[in-house]
Order: sequence, then structure tokens, then C-alpha cells
Amino acid sequence: MIRVLVADDHPMWRDAVVRDLEAAGIEVVATAADGGEAVRRAAAVRPDVVVTDLQMPRLDGVEVTRQVVAAQPTTRVLVLSASGEQADVLEAVKAGATGYLVKSASAAELVDAVRRTAEGDPVFTPGLAGLVLGEFRRLAIAPSDPLAPELTDRETEVLRLVATGLSYKQIATRLGISHRTVQNHVQNTLGKLQLHNRVQLVRYAIERGLDHE
Amino acid sequence: MLSDSSVEAPLWRGVAAFRALTLGYAVVLFATRSDLYARPGLGWVTLAVMAAWTAGWWLLPRRPGVLVVDLALACAAAAMTVVVDTPERIAAGAQTLPVIWPAGAVLAWAVWRGWRGGLAAALVLGTVDALAADRLSGNTLHNNVLVLLLGTIVGYSADLFRTSHLALRAALAAEAATAERERLARDIHDSVLQVLAYVQRRGRELGGESAELGALAGEQEHRLRTLVTSAPASATTGQVDVGSLLMGFGGDRVVVVAPATPVLLPRGDADELTAAVAAAVDNVSRHAGDGARAWLLLEDEGADVTVTIRDDGVGMPDGRLAEAERDGRLGVAQSVRGRVQALGGRVTVASAPGEGTELGLRVPRRVPT
Repeated sequence: MIRVLVADDHPMWRDAVVRDLEAAGIEVVATAADGGEAVRRAAAVRPDVVVTDLQMPRLDGVEVTRQVVAAQPTTRVLVLSASGEQADVLEAVKAGATGYLVKSASAAELVDAVRRTAEGDPVFTPGLAGLVLGEFRRLAIAPSDPLAPELTDRETEVLRLVATGLSYKQIATRLGISHRTVQNHVQNTLGKLQLHNRVQLVRYAIERGLDHE
Repeated sequence: MLSDSSVEAPLWRGVAAFRALTLGYAVVLFATRSDLYARPGLGWVTLAVMAAWTAGWWLLPRRPGVLVVDLALACAAAAMTVVVDTPERIAAGAQTLPVIWPAGAVLAWAVWRGWRGGLAAALVLGTVDALAADRLSGNTLHNNVLVLLLGTIVGYSADLFRTSHLALRAALAAEAATAERERLARDIHDSVLQVLAYVQRRGRELGGESAELGALAGEQEHRLRTLVTSAPASATTGQVDVGSLLMGFGGDRVVVVAPATPVLLPRGDADELTAAVAAAVDNVSRHAGDGARAWLLLEDEGADVTVTIRDDGVGMPDGRLAEAERDGRLGVAQSVRGRVQALGGRVTVASAPGEGTELGLRVPRRVPT
């Protein structure tokens, strides 16, 4: 059984998410009403998936994602956010979240997203694909970073199709590749972005460290 | 130009101070050698009028009429030299009676009408001076050139001051508006939007009329969010974020996908592109069939900005598109293509039966002129 921690500062939402997940036979092992609580309880109960809101008191969803993924690499993070928080969603994904769902998504979509996240399959909405695409473009245009990751032509193609609303199955048919290959391409784009983010954090830490020497 | 008094207030105070100081100088000079003048009594009367005007200047409104009277008085004060002083002293190039006090009027015109005002007032004053002095002695010419330069430079500075002050004020206002919008966005996010999104979700689950209510709530949630997140045009660059403009198309049937960072275009170009997208979205709702959904993907490629509009509607067989375009039946042909081409861009169309239609809009990023 999939073990889930739900973090949201709104009791109304938290209860709705818990109810939907439990109705589908998913075990909710803990809930949290703020970011700090989410990080502490995740460390204690070691869930398979953390479903987290982005805007929370004390510690926001981006920081929760960063700390949970750093402490338990096996725990995956699914961001459940209101639409329109694009910059924060992108930050959470760079920090290690592997999925993003808007809050208005249906119960069935939520359950499906949690199941896929637990299996390690990234949950890409068109919105997230557009954010990732935009981030790679930004990195490509910014001249100062020689280590900036790049997408292959195929990866760009796949992301653009996801961003314009095609399902993995439709993409596979259109490009004449397997469903699994489409999944891999999507996963790779996320991996590159997260790796680059970690490299940047390390580099930043080293630079700061040397400055303080 | 007299409209924005608060911007100019410090400049006007400067002019008033200049007058008071130069009046003092003229009085001291006259008092120390009043015996040299032909009619000292009349000289004192002139200085008294100057003093009255200098004091009254603080109280008078900065109206065109007042400024004209001001310049006339300055000229008259200079002209009084002919009556008060002896012809010999004037011919020898002595100071005029008000000395540099009339330059105050030139400064006032410079503050009022910029460098042109300063220049014009200095020319008028210079002409009167030259007539009063009978012929231009070296000293008079020298002083008038200095006043001319003074008027022009102060006028130019006043213009600069005015423009930069207004720009600063616009920037501050934009900053305050942004801060307020962010505060509103936070507040609304934590309350209204959460509830609206919840109603939308539960409504859909309950079905029937509740689903309709839910859809309404979802639409309003989207509108409200767009309202509180869309940023105004930058006051300094005139560029706008196309992403926040396109967000307005989002809703139950249309998904808007954009990068996290703003995609900036000059205001006019952004509006044209948005109008082209509006025509394309309208085309989807009219031709793609019932229940068709659409996705808008905005991408920033540096030199170009692209918008891809895909729908999952009925699509069209090969050739239908060209046929429709020939017949002039397709909104795509005129509104979208026309607008995009006017921006120096181009439009691509791809469609197949049952696979929906995909429109690609590509617009070059022009340097704002």
C-alpha cells in the first residue's frame, strides 16, 4: 500500500485530499498544517509520497521539498498548488518534486497522480511542461553559465507536445516511439534540471565558503 | 506646464530667493553712491517698486499673466536707468539701476517654459537694455550674454528636472501598485481563491447543477487570479509580459501554458499578438466542435516569441484549410495571419481529421522605437 503524508495549511483542503486518497485505498500516514511540521513528520514516518501545498506558514512548499528529498531520497514529492503560482512550482520541481497538480483537479486525477508519483513516474501537466521548457530556454539564453543543461531535439519535441495537451499515448503514436520512451524523455528533462540545481547550490556554497575564509 | 505645481515648487522657491538677494545687492550699490545719480529720489521709488514686487512674488500665483507682468517690470526697472542716471555714466558703461535683479524674471520664464522661455525672456530684456544704453557698451553686451546663457541653461535644467521627477513619480507609483497587488494576491490566495477552487472541485464531483456551479466558481477563480497577478506595463521600458496577457484566455476549456519568467514585448506588439491569439481561440470555439479543448503554449526563443494554439477538435482533412482560406471563410486566414504578418511574423497551420488543429504564431522581438 502507498503511504502518503499530506501537508496543507487549509484544513478544508487537507481533509478533502485525505478523504479522496483514503477512499481510493491509499494510506494517509500523517498530515501537517505547516512546512516545519511536514518536514519533521516526513522524517518520522518516512512516507512514499509527500503531497504538499506551496504556500504554507513558516516553511513554504519549495523548502519542504528540498529538505524532504535531501533527508530521504526515496520519498517523492507531489506538489498540489493553486494555478498561477508558476515561479514557485518551477522552484519546487528544481528542488526535487516529481509532480505537480492544480488544486482544482478531480479526485480521480489526484489519486492517479499519487500512484504515478509513488512509482517514480513524473506527473507532468501541460503547465509544468511549459515551465520546464521555459526554464531550459532561459538557461540557454543566459550566457553566463557554461554548465547549463540543454535539451536534445527529441526532448524539446516531447515537452512541447506535452505542453500543448497531448497525452503520452498520443505522443508515442505521433512520434512512432513507445510509451515508455516518452516517459523516459520527460523524466530526463526533469533529471537534468534537478541536477543542475544541485550543482548550482554546491557551487554557491563553495563560493560563499571561500569568501568567508 | 504650470499644472504640476508640486514638482516645480522648489524651482520657484529658488527664483524667489534669487530675487530677494539681487534686490539687496541693488539697494546696497545704490545707497553707497546715490549722490552720483541724476535723480536719486526717483531711483529710490524704483527700488521700492522692485522691493514690493519681490515681496509680492511669494504670494502671487504662477500664472502666465503674472509672468508677463514680471518680465515687463524687469524691463521697466532696467529702462529707469536712463531717467535716473546721468548720460555720462551710462555712456561709460555703468551698472543699470536694478543691476542683476531683472535676471530673476528670465529665471522665472526658464522655470515656466524651459530653455525656450529662458532664451526668449533674456532676448527681450537684452533688447531693452541695449536701447536704454543707447549703444551696446562692452559691459552691457557682456552682462546680457551672461543672462542669455543663464536663462537657457536654467530652462534646460528645469525641463530635465521636470521629466526626471515625473518619471521617478511614475516608477514609485508602479512600485506601490505592484506591492499592493502582491499583498492582495496573498490575501486572496489564502481565502477567496481556495474556496472557489474547492467549490469547483466538489461541484464537479457532485455532478448535475452542482457541477455547473462548480464550473462558474472555477471561471471566477481564474478571472480573479489573473486580475491580481497581471502586472502593469513597465513604466521605464514600455514592455509588457505577454504571459500575463494570455492568462486571460484560460478557463474551463482553454489551458494557458507559459514560462515562469515574464515574456516581454513592446506594448503595441504584445497587444497585437494577444488580439491574434484571441481570433485563434475564437476560431476554435466556432469550428472545432462541441466540447473541444484548447491549449495555448507561449515560448520565448530570444529573437522570436511563439504561441502555439492546439485544439483537440474535429480537425480538417488535407486541403480543406487551403480551400476554406481561398473562400475567405476562415477567421484564421484574416485576423490571425494579418495581425501576425503586420508584426513581421508568420503563421503555420497543421491539421488532420480527428486530430484537431494546431496553429503556430511566430513573432520577431523588435527593438522598441
